[in-house]
Amino acid sequence: MKTLRIAALCALLFLLPACGAARRDSQTASFAPDEASRLTVYTSHKEEVYGPIVKEFEERTGVWVQVVTGGTNELLERIAAEAESPVCDVMFGGGVESLLAYAGYFEPYTCSSAASLKQGLRPEGDTWTPFSSLPVVLIYNTKLVSPGEVTGWADLLDPLWRGKIAFAAPTVSGSSYTAAITMLSCLPGDDWDVIGRFVENLNGSILQDSGDVVSVVSVGSRYIGVTLEETALKRQAQGADIAIVYPEEGTSNLPDGAALIDGAPHRENAMAFLEFTQSEDVQSLVVNDFARRSVRVDVADRDTLPPESELHIIDYDVAWASGIKEEFLRRWTELCGEAGT
Amino acid sequence: MSHPLRSSFHRKLTAAFLAVGVLPLLICVVLMLNVFQLFLARSTEDTAAAQLSAVTEDMGKLLSSCEDVLEQLGRHDRILQALDGAGQDSQSVYSALYAVASPLLREADFSLYDAQGHLLYTTAAASARADLSTAWGLLAAAGASPGVVYRDVPSFSGTASACMQAARAVRDRGKLSGYAVASLNTGHFRRLLEGKYGAGSDILILDPFWDEVYTSPTLQDKTLAPALRERLLSGQALAAGGENQLYHVAREEVSGFYVILRQPKPVADWVMRLLYLITALSILLCLGLCLAVSMAFSRQLFRPIRSLNSAMAAVEGGDLDVRVEVPGTDEMSQLAGRFNRMTERLKTNLTDSIRQQQELGNAQIRMMQAQLNPHFLYNTLDTLKWMGKIHHVPEVATISADLADILRRSISADEFVRLEDELRLLERYVEIQKIRFAGKFEFRAAMDEDLLDILVPKLMLQPLVENAIIHGFEDGMPGEITVTAARAGDDLLLTVQDNGCGMSPESLRRFQEQTPPAGRHLGLHNVDAILRLNYGQERGLKFLPPPGGRGTCIRISIPITRQGGRES
Repeated sequence: MKTLRIAALCALLFLLPACGAARRDSQTASFAPDEASRLTVYTSHKEEVYGPIVKEFEERTGVWVQVVTGGTNELLERIAAEAESPVCDVMFGGGVESLLAYAGYFEPYTCSSAASLKQGLRPEGDTWTPFSSLPVVLIYNTKLVSPGEVTGWADLLDPLWRGKIAFAAPTVSGSSYTAAITMLSCLPGDDWDVIGRFVENLNGSILQDSGDVVSVVSVGSRYIGVTLEETALKRQAQGADIAIVYPEEGTSNLPDGAALIDGAPHRENAMAFLEFTQSEDVQSLVVNDFARRSVRVDVADRDTLPPESELHIIDYDVAWASGIKEEFLRRWTELCGEAGT
Repeated sequence: MSHPLRSSFHRKLTAAFLAVGVLPLLICVVLMLNVFQLFLARSTEDTAAAQLSAVTEDMGKLLSSCEDVLEQLGRHDRILQALDGAGQDSQSVYSALYAVASPLLREADFSLYDAQGHLLYTTAAASARADLSTAWGLLAAAGASPGVVYRDVPSFSGTASACMQAARAVRDRGKLSGYAVASLNTGHFRRLLEGKYGAGSDILILDPFWDEVYTSPTLQDKTLAPALRERLLSGQALAAGGENQLYHVAREEVSGFYVILRQPKPVADWVMRLLYLITALSILLCLGLCLAVSMAFSRQLFRPIRSLNSAMAAVEGGDLDVRVEVPGTDEMSQLAGRFNRMTERLKTNLTDSIRQQQELGNAQIRMMQAQLNPHFLYNTLDTLKWMGKIHHVPEVATISADLADILRRSISADEFVRLEDELRLLERYVEIQKIRFAGKFEFRAAMDEDLLDILVPKLMLQPLVENAIIHGFEDGMPGEITVTAARAGDDLLLTVQDNGCGMSPESLRRFQEQTPPAGRHLGLHNVDAILRLNYGQERGLKFLPPPGGRGTCIRISIPITRQGGRES
C-alpha cells in the first residue's frame, strides 16, 4: 500500500510536464474537422491540376480533402491492397485502360451530368467518371522540320526520320502504349509488320519516360515525337519550339477520369467530388487552364484548337487493346532486342 | 525464507546508506528537473499565448478596417458609375479609390473588378495586375455572398505576390456591377507581424483548410504547412516526434484563418537528455560512494566483532590460548578485554581441575598400595597371638587379636559403618589401652539397641576416646570415660565424656578458631573436619560443659541414617 503510494507520487512527478503539452494538443485537435467533412483523394494528376480543383471544392463544400499523390498504377495497386478496409474515397486521374483494369474496386456512380457527356466517352455501367479527353498527337521541332513535312502516322515509318523519332517505351508508359495501338489502328497492313517497321525506324533509341518526348524534340535532339495533346500544348505555352500535328489518318482521344472507391469511408463527399469534377465550372477550368479537352458537350474547347470533329477520332477498342497488350509487349521487347537497344 | 537484508549487518548498513544517500537525492533531482521544465514550459506558453493573441487581434483589426474600406468603395458614387461603364475619367476614379483606401494604403492593396472579372483599377504595383474568373474562386464566392469573403491565393494559381484576398461584391440597386478586392501580399503580412513574435519563433498563417497563406521569412520550409495539415487530420500532435518546436494555434475570427506560432522548445530535448544523463551519472556516483563508504565503515565496525566471533569459535573448538587484540577503549575493546579475561579464567579452572584429577588418581593409587600389606600384617598379628597363647602371655594374645581386628576394620573401604561396629572397634581399642594403662581409667558405653544400626563415619569415636585417655588422665588420677548415644528428633547425639583434667583453655580456643593443630589434639581436628565435610559446617564437634565441672564432654550430632537409605 505504502509502496504503491510512493510509486504513484513518483509517476506524478515524472508526468507533471506532460500535462501542458496534452492540453495544447487537445485544443489543437478541436480545429480538426469531424469525419463527415473529410475526403481522401488519391491522385496521379500534377498539383497544378488537382490543386485548384481540390481547393475550390473545399471552399464550396467545407469538406477537408486529404490528397495522396503518386503514379497511376502505384495508387491503383494501393487501392487494391486496401480493398478490405478502404482508406481512399476517390481515385482521381488515370487513363481509361488503367481504370478499367481495376474496375472491380470501384463503385459505379452516375453523375447528374452524364447525359451531357460527349459521345463515346461515357463508360459502360458508369464504373468511373470521365474528367478530360486526351488526343494523341505528333509534334515536331519547328526549327528542324518545316510545316507540312510531317502529316500523319505513316511518316513514323518513313526511313527519312529513321533515328529521329522520340517515342517512350510502351512497356513503361501507358500513354505510349495507347499511342502505339492508335497508330496500329490508323495504319493499314499487318499490325506486327507495322510494329516491326516502326521499331526499325526508331533505330534502337527508345525513351524511358513519356515526359521526355517533348523535351528531346524541343531541344532538337529528336525531330519528331509522339505525345498527348495536353502535354504538347503545355510545353508550347512555356515557349518550347514545337508544333502539333493531328495525324491525317485519325487519332484516339481516350479520356482520363475519376472513380468512387467501393466501400469508401466518406461516400457522400466522394460523390460530391465526382459531380464537381464533371461540373461546368471545373470543365471550363480543364479547357482554359489545363490545355485539356472537356468531356462535356456544353463546354466548348479552346477556340485555338481544331474542333474534335476535325480530328478523325477513331473508335479505340479498349478491350481489344488490353487483350493484346501482353503479346504486344512481348513482341516489342523481342524487336527491340533484335534492333540492339 | 531468509530475507537478503537480514543475513548480514553489512548489507543492512549498505541498504541504510543507500536509502539515506541516494533516495533523497533522486527525489530532489527529479523534482527539480520537472519543476524547472514545467516552469519554463509555462512561461514560454504564456509568452506564446500573449504573442498569438496580439497577432490575431491586429490581423482582425486590419481585416475589419479592410472590410470597412471595401464597403465604402462599394457605396462610392463615382466608383459605382465607373463599374457600370459610365464614362468616368480614370483619374477621378483613382482619386476616389485612394481617398477611401487612404488609411490602409500601406497595409493592403485595393482593386476594383468589373462584373466580368476584369481588373479596372488597383492601388497595387503594375506587376500584380491580372483578371480574375467570376465563375471560380474569390469572385465567384463574393458574388454569392452578401458580405466579404476571404480566400487564400494558392501558390499554383500564379497570381502575383498576393497571399490572401478579401472580396466584396459591389451591387448597384441589387444588380451586380463589380467587385472590390483587398489583397494582402507577403510585404503586407511582414509589416503586420513585424516585432509581434519573439526571435527564434515563426508565424504561419493558414486558411480555414490549413493551406499555407503566409509564413514568416525565417521559415524556409515549404513542406511545413502541408505536414501540419497532415498531422492535424491524422489526429497527431503538431510537433513531430523529436522535433524541438512547440506549436500554438489560434483562429482569427474575422476571416476564419488560422495563425500558428512556432516556438522553439524552451529546453531542447537534447538538453533535457543531457540533464537526465548528468543526473543519472551523479546518482550512479553517489551510489558508488555509498557502497564504498558503507563497505569501509562496516569493515571497520565489524572487524572486532568478526575477530571476536572467530575467537569464540576457536574457544568452542577447545583452543583456550586464543586472545583477541584490544585496540582501544571503546565498547568493542571492552568486550574483547572481557573475553580475554574470561578465557584466561576458563583456562586456569581447567588446569586446576586437571591437577585435582591427577591428585585424586595419585591418592587412589597410594590407597590401593596401602591395601597390599594387610594380609601379611594379619598373619603376623595371628602368629603373635598364638605365640602369646603358647607362651602364656595372654595380654600379647589379646593385643594381637584386638589389633588385627582394628586393622581390619580401619582399612575396610567403607566410609560409613554401623554404630555397633564403631562400638566394637572402640571396645577393641579400649581393651588394648587398658592393658597399656592398667587401672588408669574405666570405660563405659551406654546405647539403646535400636540405635546400633545407625550409620556413622568410620573411626569417629576412637580419636575422641584416645584423646581422653592420652590427655585426660595425664595427672595419673584414675578416671572414667563414658560414651553415650541418644536420639534427639532426627539427629543422633553421641557424647564422649571423661572426668580427667580437661582441655586447656588455650587448646580449646585454638580448636575453636580451627587453627591447624600443632601436634596435639590432631585426632580431634580430623574428626571435626570429617564431620564438617560430610554434614555441613555447623555439624562440627561441640564442647559441652562437663557434668561435675571436671573433664571434657564432646558432642557429635549427626542426622540419622540407616543402611539401605536415609531414614529419619
